[in-house]
Amino acid sequence: MTAYLSLRNIVKSYDGRVNAVDNVSIDIAKGEFLTFLGPSGSGKTTTLMMIAGFEAPSAGAIELEGEDLTRRKPYERNIGVVFQNYALFPHMTVERNVAFPLRMRRFPRNREAARVREILDLVGLGPFAGKHPRELSGGQQQRVALARGLVFNPDVLLLDEPLGALDKSLREQMQVELKRIQREVGITTVYVTHDQTEAMTMSDRIAVFSHGKLEQVAPPLDVYHRPRTRFVGEFIGDSNIFAGTVDESQPGCVTLEALGPMRVDVEAWRRVGKGAVDVLVRPERVQLAAPGAEPALLNRLVMEIGVIVNYGDSVLLIGSARGQRLRMRIAGAQPDAIREGATVIVGWRPGDEHLIARS
Amino acid sequence: MGLSLACLVALFLLLPIVIVVPMSFSTAISFEFPPPGYSLGYYAKFFTSEEWLEPTLNSLVIALGATALTMLLVVPAAFGYVRYRFRGKALVNLLMMAPLIVPHVVSALAYYGFLGRARLTGTHLGVIVAHGVLAVPVAFLVISATLKGFDRNLERAAMSSGAGPLRTFFHVTLPVLRPGMLVGALFAFLSSFNEAVVVIFIGGRGAATLPKKMYESIRLESDPVIAVVSTLLVSAVVLGVLVSAFLRPRGANAA
Ligand SMILES: Nc1ncnc2c1ncn2[C@@H]1O[C@H](COP(=O)(O)OP(=O)(O)OP(=O)(O)O)[C@@H](O)[C@H]1O
Ligand SMILES: [Mg+2]
Repeated sequence: MTAYLSLRNIVKSYDGRVNAVDNVSIDIAKGEFLTFLGPSGSGKTTTLMMIAGFEAPSAGAIELEGEDLTRRKPYERNIGVVFQNYALFPHMTVERNVAFPLRMRRFPRNREAARVREILDLVGLGPFAGKHPRELSGGQQQRVALARGLVFNPDVLLLDEPLGALDKSLREQMQVELKRIQREVGITTVYVTHDQTEAMTMSDRIAVFSHGKLEQVAPPLDVYHRPRTRFVGEFIGDSNIFAGTVDESQPGCVTLEALGPMRVDVEAWRRVGKGAVDVLVRPERVQLAAPGAEPALLNRLVMEIGVIVNYGDSVLLIGSARGQRLRMRIAGAQPDAIREGATVIVGWRPGDEHLIARS
Repeated sequence: MGLSLACLVALFLLLPIVIVVPMSFSTAISFEFPPPGYSLGYYAKFFTSEEWLEPTLNSLVIALGATALTMLLVVPAAFGYVRYRFRGKALVNLLMMAPLIVPHVVSALAYYGFLGRARLTGTHLGVIVAHGVLAVPVAFLVISATLKGFDRNLERAAMSSGAGPLRTFFHVTLPVLRPGMLVGALFAFLSSFNEAVVVIFIGGRGAATLPKKMYESIRLESDPVIAVVSTLLVSAVVLGVLVSAFLRPRGANAA
């Protein structure tokens, strides 16, 4: 991958003691949709604000196409920003809001109106050009903010939880819309959210933040199926994580605390080598084993069902096996044998797990 | 219970107006309530006599000058106070509020001594300086509150749109803050326009304002024209409050 936008060892400390962002390095490709995902206070916004130029890094460099941006003022960069609270200029109409970057950037006046119209049509707000922001709904205001961020053909578009203030159905609709527009324009995008579904469905890659550090940067399915750290495995999606040690004498064997020996993917076993591992098994990979069990289901456990959560399209079983917490998810309706307090035999196949070496 | 109490308070506040306004249309030669008859005579007297028009003009000039001075002091102070962290911030706030805490008579005495030495008693400039400072607390309260409610992301949005600090200020910050600033200025104006204590001490003959003239007139002659002036002053305040209420809601909801 050739880097278009590069963050090199970025550090940011507001108070000189704690690092809000701690040695973050990412290469972003041209046209890529990268999402910053992480819990509250993990440094996502701070990193985004440094790319925009609103905050100066305490150390490190930001480069665009090999050119150093670090010391450039926000208005000397060519970067569009969309804020969670829209930040539309309340004293200007939709049209004037969108024309504002063109005026400030000395876009030819005779082409201004056409460009504004074009971008308003792109976000589906053509008929609202003459309205003031306060006359629009939240979703419409966010579209105006998007239009304002895109109208001057920026090199990069930054969005900080742009859908955070919208209700669920509008949010999903806007996710699709936003992704369509991003593809159509082909713009390099950095998106901040703490909604993992949003990150999974929209991104080319996800950068997972924790305590100002980057835990992993990878495509959504990689982050889900092959988390690099225990934190990522727990933060994204539902998970069972068992502590264990690699059994060096038997290929493909790992001994789990309390649960005993388990069969795992031999390749993964070899890569980890030796020592302590965390074994991640996603709840949807755990299956019911009895009766007429599938012979490939080598790893078996006796599960006591504690709580059943019925989602309609799937059922989540929360329980335990030999004192270890265990969660499993069954697609479809709730089978008859499954009742709270019942005991069932469950299992998973070698390779359904993911090994995370403990450092 | 709460409502009746509120009504009582409102009545208490309104009573003087209820008495003064009819008296301004009175035909009596002195103060008399209820008026024996109604006419616009005293209004005619007010608007034609030099004796009353000059203080009116003085009041306007001084109030405008004081407002300008107050804004000049308060706007930069409020920006500094709201947007930066520094040592002694609480002390600065206290200092800005000082004119509100010190009794006007004490301020008046101090100004009398201070402006006298600078040979500014009895001049417009002297009263403008005093009134300009006296209006600082109210203007500071209004403007710093507006500034606190201002969404800094608006400035960030402007900057990422390509506007430098100056253009950001004039295209975004100032227009969004304008209603709050106007309310602050209006309050400063009214505070000077209605101020009586300090101006009696330092206004002299050269810078007599309406309240000073009223005070003198009531002591010497109890001329019912005072009822006219009072009515006009109250109308001005009511108008001011209405204008500020109209200005408020638009700028405030920037967050
Ligand atoms: N202007 C500031 N001054 C001081 N500390 C700050 C400032 N902005 C952020 N921080 C601190 O830096 C850390 C990272 O904050 P940041 O806003 O980047 O987190 P975030 O990942 O965007 O969180 P959220 O999901 O809640 O928006 C936090 O501990 C926060 O308290
Ligand atoms: Mg944030």
